[in-house]
Amino acid sequence: MAENQTGMPPRLEVRGIRKAFGQNVVLKGIDMCIKPGEVLSLIGGNGAGKSTLMKIIMGIYTCDEGEIFVDGKPAKLGKPSASLAAGIYMVPQEPLLFPNMTVLENILMGFTENKGELKKRLLGHMADMGLDINLQRKASTLSIAEQQLIELLRGLMRNARTLILDEPTSALTFGEVQSLFKVMRDLKEKGIGMIYITHRLNEVFEISTDVAIMRDGVITLQGPVTNFTKEMLIQGLLPTDSSAQAEKKAYQPVPYETLKPVMQVRNLTGYGFADISFDLYPGEILGIAGVVGAGRTELISTIFGRDKVLGGTVTLDGQDITGHSTKKVLKEGLNFVPEDRHNHGLFKIRSISSNTTSALLGTGEVGKVNMNSKAQNAISQKYVDDFRTKIVSLDDLIGSLSGGNQQKVVIARALSTSPKVVILDEPTRGIDAAARGDVYNIIRQLKDAGVAVLMVSSDIEEVVELSDRALTVYQGRINGEFQHDEISQDVLTSTSFGIKQERKMQ
Amino acid sequence: MNAVKNLFKARWMSSFIFLILLFAITGIAAPSFLNYSNIIGCFNSSTMYTLLAVGIAFVIMTGEIDVSIGATLGLTAAMTGLLAQNGGNIWTMLIVCVSVGAVIGLINGVGVAYFGVPSLIFTLGTNSVIRGLIFLLTDGRTVENFGGAISSYGNMTIGLDITLYYAIAVVIVIIAHLVLTKTHKGKYIIAVGDNAGGARLVGISVLGTKLIAYVLCGLFAGLGGFVFASKYGQVMTVAGNGYEMTAIAACVLGGISLSGGLGNIIGAAIGAVIMSSISRLLVFIGLPPTYDNTITGVMLIVIVVVDALTQRRSIEQARRKRLLSRTANHAEGGAVK
Amino acid sequence: MNNPNNMLKKLLKRWELFLVVFLILEIAVFGAANPKFLNPTKLMTSVVNYISVCIISLFVTMVMITGGIDIQAPSIIGLTSIVIGVLWSDAGMNIWVAVLLATLLAALCGALSGFFVAYCGVQPMVVTLGGSFLYSGLALLISSLSATPAYQGISGFPGKNDAGKYIDFRWLGKGDICGIPVQIIIYVLLIALCMWILHRTKYGERLFLIGVNPGAAEYSGINTRMVTMSTYILSAVSAALVGILLTANLNSAKYNVGSGYTMGIITAVVLGGTLNTGGKGSILGTVLASLILCILRYGLPLCFNVSTQNLDLPIGIILVLVILGREIAGQHMLQKWFKRRKTH
Repeated sequence: MAENQTGMPPRLEVRGIRKAFGQNVVLKGIDMCIKPGEVLSLIGGNGAGKSTLMKIIMGIYTCDEGEIFVDGKPAKLGKPSASLAAGIYMVPQEPLLFPNMTVLENILMGFTENKGELKKRLLGHMADMGLDINLQRKASTLSIAEQQLIELLRGLMRNARTLILDEPTSALTFGEVQSLFKVMRDLKEKGIGMIYITHRLNEVFEISTDVAIMRDGVITLQGPVTNFTKEMLIQGLLPTDSSAQAEKKAYQPVPYETLKPVMQVRNLTGYGFADISFDLYPGEILGIAGVVGAGRTELISTIFGRDKVLGGTVTLDGQDITGHSTKKVLKEGLNFVPEDRHNHGLFKIRSISSNTTSALLGTGEVGKVNMNSKAQNAISQKYVDDFRTKIVSLDDLIGSLSGGNQQKVVIARALSTSPKVVILDEPTRGIDAAARGDVYNIIRQLKDAGVAVLMVSSDIEEVVELSDRALTVYQGRINGEFQHDEISQDVLTSTSFGIKQERKMQ
Repeated sequence: MNAVKNLFKARWMSSFIFLILLFAITGIAAPSFLNYSNIIGCFNSSTMYTLLAVGIAFVIMTGEIDVSIGATLGLTAAMTGLLAQNGGNIWTMLIVCVSVGAVIGLINGVGVAYFGVPSLIFTLGTNSVIRGLIFLLTDGRTVENFGGAISSYGNMTIGLDITLYYAIAVVIVIIAHLVLTKTHKGKYIIAVGDNAGGARLVGISVLGTKLIAYVLCGLFAGLGGFVFASKYGQVMTVAGNGYEMTAIAACVLGGISLSGGLGNIIGAAIGAVIMSSISRLLVFIGLPPTYDNTITGVMLIVIVVVDALTQRRSIEQARRKRLLSRTANHAEGGAVK
Repeated sequence: MNNPNNMLKKLLKRWELFLVVFLILEIAVFGAANPKFLNPTKLMTSVVNYISVCIISLFVTMVMITGGIDIQAPSIIGLTSIVIGVLWSDAGMNIWVAVLLATLLAALCGALSGFFVAYCGVQPMVVTLGGSFLYSGLALLISSLSATPAYQGISGFPGKNDAGKYIDFRWLGKGDICGIPVQIIIYVLLIALCMWILHRTKYGERLFLIGVNPGAAEYSGINTRMVTMSTYILSAVSAALVGILLTANLNSAKYNVGSGYTMGIITAVVLGGTLNTGGKGSILGTVLASLILCILRYGLPLCFNVSTQNLDLPIGIILVLVILGREIAGQHMLQKWFKRRKTH
């Protein structure tokens, strides 16, 4: 058993963890180790496999291969209660509190010991951490930061020796982050091991002792944080092979001088973003980069009529579409591929053709009153052929397809209305490499067909590969605009992580 | 001071104030209403609904529903009547009522929690089965002419015009309330309805908790059956028909959310008083009892719509506040830089 | 490669098949037990006797496919009936004007409940529970406007000529075309109409999409609120139609003529295979389930001497067994399906 210098076994150690969902291998042999008093920052893009790994540690999933050791002893973690008993507690990204209960009830829920004793212990923890929260407040009145602290307390009350914090700062303000870090430092002193999942590189250097970077189901870089610089971490986030670059066709510049913008956004302000202005030209791919929670999704879904506009304007082909309903916006020539495929994209127990043509119900293309299933199938078949979607029959339920093929159907829906502008939110999230390549080809074809593409992605590599121009969004505002020759992974990553100084825009 | 403040924040408090308002309005329209015996009469007459509402409140708080309680009440009432006809002992009747109710609850709980059948559908099925059992048991005839001790308890008062049954019901309500709010396991019921995922994460058995809620619900319906038989002295085959809807309405009036996790037992009990008082109050106001259902319906709809709108607004506001703080955050962060 | 999806689809398709087999078996068993059972007139009467459930369940199927539920329809039957009675008998209106106004009122009631469900986000169960109180209460209130006491019911509707033939209004409830009761013909037409609406029109497609995933429906530009509300209007109008038929059939307008049908309607829809969370279901399934119920209610007393008042027990047992069986079979299939996916 590997032991560290102080003679204590690691709080948590995983070896050779592998996990696949169907053909999609998510984790390809993960080794990781958290010693007492260590804060391991875990960094990685969406789909890197972080959350799957954490769910395995929490007993929500079981791994296909690999071992887990807790305090040096092999542990069998098949269900959440086993992980809790092993002293592991995860503070989820979206805290799972009981909204209608008081803070006290929330923290003590699930304990069977004497309430007075528990409260004493709780007050002890709170005093240690220097926390002052009214225990009688309802959880629904708490800010996200406070909810996260409550989750931390829940973990401490369970004598957790390993804490997992899943992007705790993504919804916090600067001050709140600082008080969270103070608490984390105290916990570090007490010998608690922590896994800290984050997208913010600045925080890695501020709080963690060790760092690990995950990419495509493997850990690409791991070690004490003092061994690394920000630039090295960014390098670790980049792909090791540049084969993707090699495949790239010769770049055809967009003749901006001769074009008129098809969509103009001016000083658009809404919930989660402020003062956004940009132009979108036909036949270009405009990438929007930024970390999760930067306000990108809020921005584009507001343009799509899903939330209230607080200020500014959006014009499409000279027509003001600010604050129009989704139904209207669709008719006016804009369509959308949502980030959340399960809640906003798929009709799981409906057929592939039904899914492909759902946005056409407002038009006459699939019939006036009666459903024209011939037209429906013809349209669907065309996209299946164009996109090389792997299906058996158009009547199959979409839920039976792989993630990549599901995404192709959702993209087909967005194109079915023949939009002038297509907005793609995380177009390749959770899909395998082959499907990714297909999706990239689809996006390029759109560009060639003169469609204006607005693509939001937290996968910087993707933005670099596809974009003619790119914007970065940081904390709800645009903090960088780059022409094609200025775009690089390096500059986009550091700008979207807020490291580089804000570029002055004219 | 804090305790008083919390008391007024409690959801059942608004139902209580609503009840007082109802009494006050009736009093203004008909001053003769405002005397002790009329008001206590409203409470006394709510005994059965109180038991049913409190029982179903457990189930509703876990986020499920049970539409078989009216039939359960009918079945246990019929059994009580038959036992009484045959000179049965009152304790036997009570034990039979409680255990039959609990078994029905257990069956519902197993079907819903363990087999995962949607609760409305499963209890709809058991509702029919129980209705059929009543018929088999009574041969389709009204069970009547049972005398003896049980009938004499029906209107027995324990002083101050409070009936024995209502007093017992109040004691049960208080005990149930304390169990639910003060014990670890009791809180699981609300926790499961509030956030089932969160409950699982802290190691609560969601299935087991729902099962317990159903057993309690059946048990209370059984008690209701006992009271029914005792009070009316005759049990028709359709006894309890539609009572489940009244009980659900009572819970909603008492501030219990049908999506679970919100509300408490006292609210359900107050809701039951409101539901059973309306027809009495109408008499005093001078409206014929034909207004009963209309007023109940309007009240129910207004309350749930207002509740849904305020809840949605507060959730939406919280979300927007959170999102707005992100952009405000930038200004702060920028200033630091 | 055996496509797991095809198996799942077969399972789904099997439900209607199962209902057909069940229906045939039912008829065979009853027919064997008592040959009188197979009398076509009596078989049709068994449907006429349960016409409320048969007709309304068609439209409640649509409500449930959007993920809602409607338990207020039976109270609207009574409301329609009494409104027709009062407008005709006490206000002296033409019977068909009364019918039209009553139907409009019913549509308004449905729209009100639908509005609260779709636009205010109140749970459909609660809204329609409140609606059932409100509309049955209104029916009672309106009945008190009449000179006829409420419990008696307004009678003497027009439509029986000197030859004893039913014409005019009462023809709807009592008449026949070539020996087939008008009610049955209306039911058959409604089945065709509903099959067309739900399975052939774009409106029907929208209903399914909303039920499967309201979020994705919104992102597809579907006005989910409007469509959801419309299903409650349709179901209320179907209840109004039933109110008209019952009034014409019984020659009596009564405020509570629809009471007691709630459970039957929900049972028919659920037994027909409609998912109570929405997104799946068929008119055919509901029709088959309604017929199964009709025939049980007719056959059990006739062939097995079950009291007509005690039909709840066998029907309840069948419902529970069928639902449990489906759930267990479904879980089993699902597990198999997942295993299959894993071994890929």
